[in-house]
Amino acid sequence: MLFNSLTFVVFFAVVVTLYWSLRSWTTRKNLLVVASYLFYGAWNPPFAALLFSTTALDFWLGARIAKAATPRSRKLWLIASLASNLSMLGFFKYGNFLLENFQWLMARIGIIYQPPHLDILLPVGISFYTFHSLSYTLDVYRGVMQPTKSLRDFVLAVSFFPQLVAGPIVRAGDFLPQLLEPPKPQTGRFLWGLLLMTLGLFEKVVLADTLLSGSADRVFGYGGPLVALDSWMGVIAFAGQIFFDFAGYSTCAIGAALCLGFHLRDNFRYPYAAVGFSDFWRRWHISLSTFLRDYLYIPLGGNRAGPTRALINLIIVMFIGGLWHGAAWTFVVWGLLHGLYLVIERLLRRFAGEAKWTESLFVQVILGLATYGAVCLAWVFFRATDFTIAMRLLRGMFGAHAQADAILGTREMLQIGLVTLCMFIAHWALRETGLEKAVDRLPRWAVTATWALMACAIILNQGNSNAFIYFQF
Amino acid sequence: MPSSTSSFDFQRPFDFQRAIPTQPWRGITVVVVLIVMAAAAAWEIYVRSLGYAPTLNDTEDLWVQARRTVKPESLVIVGDSRALFDLDFDELQKGIGKRPVQLAMAGSCAYPILADLANDETFHGTVICSIVPGMWFAPGGPLVETSEKALKRYRDQTISQRASHHLGMFLEERVAFLKQEDLTLEMLLKKLPIPNRPHAQVPPRFPPYFQTVDRERRVRMTEKCARPGELQSRIQQIWLPLFTPPPPPTFVPREAFMAGMGKAIEGRFRDTVAAVNKLRARGGKVVFVRFPYTGELKALEDRLSPREQTWEPLLKSTSVPGIHFADHPELAGFTCPEWSHLSAGDSVEFTRRLVPHLRGALQL
Repeated sequence: MLFNSLTFVVFFAVVVTLYWSLRSWTTRKNLLVVASYLFYGAWNPPFAALLFSTTALDFWLGARIAKAATPRSRKLWLIASLASNLSMLGFFKYGNFLLENFQWLMARIGIIYQPPHLDILLPVGISFYTFHSLSYTLDVYRGVMQPTKSLRDFVLAVSFFPQLVAGPIVRAGDFLPQLLEPPKPQTGRFLWGLLLMTLGLFEKVVLADTLLSGSADRVFGYGGPLVALDSWMGVIAFAGQIFFDFAGYSTCAIGAALCLGFHLRDNFRYPYAAVGFSDFWRRWHISLSTFLRDYLYIPLGGNRAGPTRALINLIIVMFIGGLWHGAAWTFVVWGLLHGLYLVIERLLRRFAGEAKWTESLFVQVILGLATYGAVCLAWVFFRATDFTIAMRLLRGMFGAHAQADAILGTREMLQIGLVTLCMFIAHWALRETGLEKAVDRLPRWAVTATWALMACAIILNQGNSNAFIYFQF
Repeated sequence: MPSSTSSFDFQRPFDFQRAIPTQPWRGITVVVVLIVMAAAAAWEIYVRSLGYAPTLNDTEDLWVQARRTVKPESLVIVGDSRALFDLDFDELQKGIGKRPVQLAMAGSCAYPILADLANDETFHGTVICSIVPGMWFAPGGPLVETSEKALKRYRDQTISQRASHHLGMFLEERVAFLKQEDLTLEMLLKKLPIPNRPHAQVPPRFPPYFQTVDRERRVRMTEKCARPGELQSRIQQIWLPLFTPPPPPTFVPREAFMAGMGKAIEGRFRDTVAAVNKLRARGGKVVFVRFPYTGELKALEDRLSPREQTWEPLLKSTSVPGIHFADHPELAGFTCPEWSHLSAGDSVEFTRRLVPHLRGALQL
């Protein structure tokens, strides 16, 4: 079920009404479990069974880890959890990718191997809910939380419908405590949640799908060389599209959770106002970057094992981060490029130190734009379906084609320019404060007008919208 | 606001709370709801004053709904928008004895739909297939993608998408501004008169709203379009660039491109023969129909895809009976108001006159 669908509007209205009408906290939690499985099963009912089985297994493994008498047995139970989750992810998401690469490798050493093409249907949001569930056994193993005794609570923590299929990746340790006591109804929280849902839908339906996606699709789908202007415009359109698409989903999820009295952490903090790449990753898909930091980078040794090892760890983490997004080498290159950016930034910081002159607003903006430019270059590999397209587009961006075509209309370029400019202004204005503080300071008529305008624009789009990009991950 | 931390001991009270801005939320919400309702009502009144009326959008989901009603012995219409506008279901039912299932799609190459029916082992009914050579022989691109997307939706449609479709139909039958082909924000922006760079390869514009659609996918031209006027002449002028093939891509040598196109057309002839034979082997029947087109569009179409190079070889290679409107005086006398489709009234009369030819071709 998509947030931007009429079915969801009805579903959400029914769930919220029932939820706040019920008195018993247990019944309300049961309602949320049923609603979450209906939400998920509306895509493909059998995958709901898969979701439940992995959840139940991790619930059981979490208890085993906590009860294990020796460090060795604790580790073995954790390995069982990692193996079950990652093998399921590997089968559904990377099965064909691994087979194709194995075939290629065999061919390099002269062995002709023709693997069967597995007709695997990727369960929606598998990368997200696997991480939701995995965070639980990892934290129980690390001893930072006790296992829950309630299977129902854990099932709800993993499958809570606002964040189930496209994040944010909500750790069990962040969600389970919220199931101990029922939230009290609060009008302000509920209505702010609705406003956030409107904002998220506006970002997705109007900004990403209506104003940007068409141009990005045409540029990335064009079969020939493009002039520099069109190449850049296409990439900038995609940079905006992916932000508004994903941040829009996260904002909707946070808003929907608030309407039900739950608090989810931010997943984006104005990333296109980032100055440098470590700043970018503190602002972009925060739930993934902190997950990888806590469960991969730090266990690998983090910064503790010396500067060279720290740089290698960064590259490993970004390699995994790239692969998490999709079973293709283009995603790996995207991740590695970000890893390289982070390494270069660290080296520059080490040699240049904390230069005072970089703190002026002008220099910060220049550095921010440079960060944005480099991020855009990396997006080329993220969006392109193969390296031929990516390289052709990169050559186009640097004017390397002797003869090239122009395919974007003036209106499309104006749309991209205007949306990107407004996005920059908003990100720079909010990068230190955040949305809540800004809304606090706004006069009520401005809040009213903005909310009404966003709602009208969504209605004007008539649900003419696409699935969220991050569903495929 | 605390940042993400690694402290997860949930025996402790959960200390993260999202900040809620301090505003008079109740009052704001009431005013927002009133503004949105007033704006929607004003927009509805305005678009109705422009001639819009509530009707369904001809979406992939509506097509899927029709596809699901295909029974083993159904009478099925496939093809392009001419089959959508020009055939009347009541007349077909009266003349042939079966109510047809409308699977034609505007702006599409219908070959993938015919192939899908041929591959459907349960189907052995009758297919009325509209042929517009420029569309039927399209090697790929948007015309083929339209059909392929609909088929993909048919295979992959989720429960949620079906539910949204039914809710959407309920609204579309009541609200005039729900016109996806004309009144979405995207379409309104496309109407802005902003000149493009010279040589920019911008896709041609699609025609505005000029038809109504019902739940059976019976499409009727609106009266406004059927009458001479600004809308009619605007649509006429939109067809000409739309029916003109785009220039060969600059990045492929012309000879190679033309050779590729020739090969693709030959392939389509072969594939059509295979699909027809498959259907016939199970007892299915197929008839090709060339629906009326007039005015400058006729001159353009006849020049781009001459009958002797497209229609005639298609009938010959497939041995499928064909009905070309120009071969029969009773079918040839119709005028298409906007050069490509019949008016709602004419479509009834045209179907009535077409039925005896269909019965003959299908040996009924």
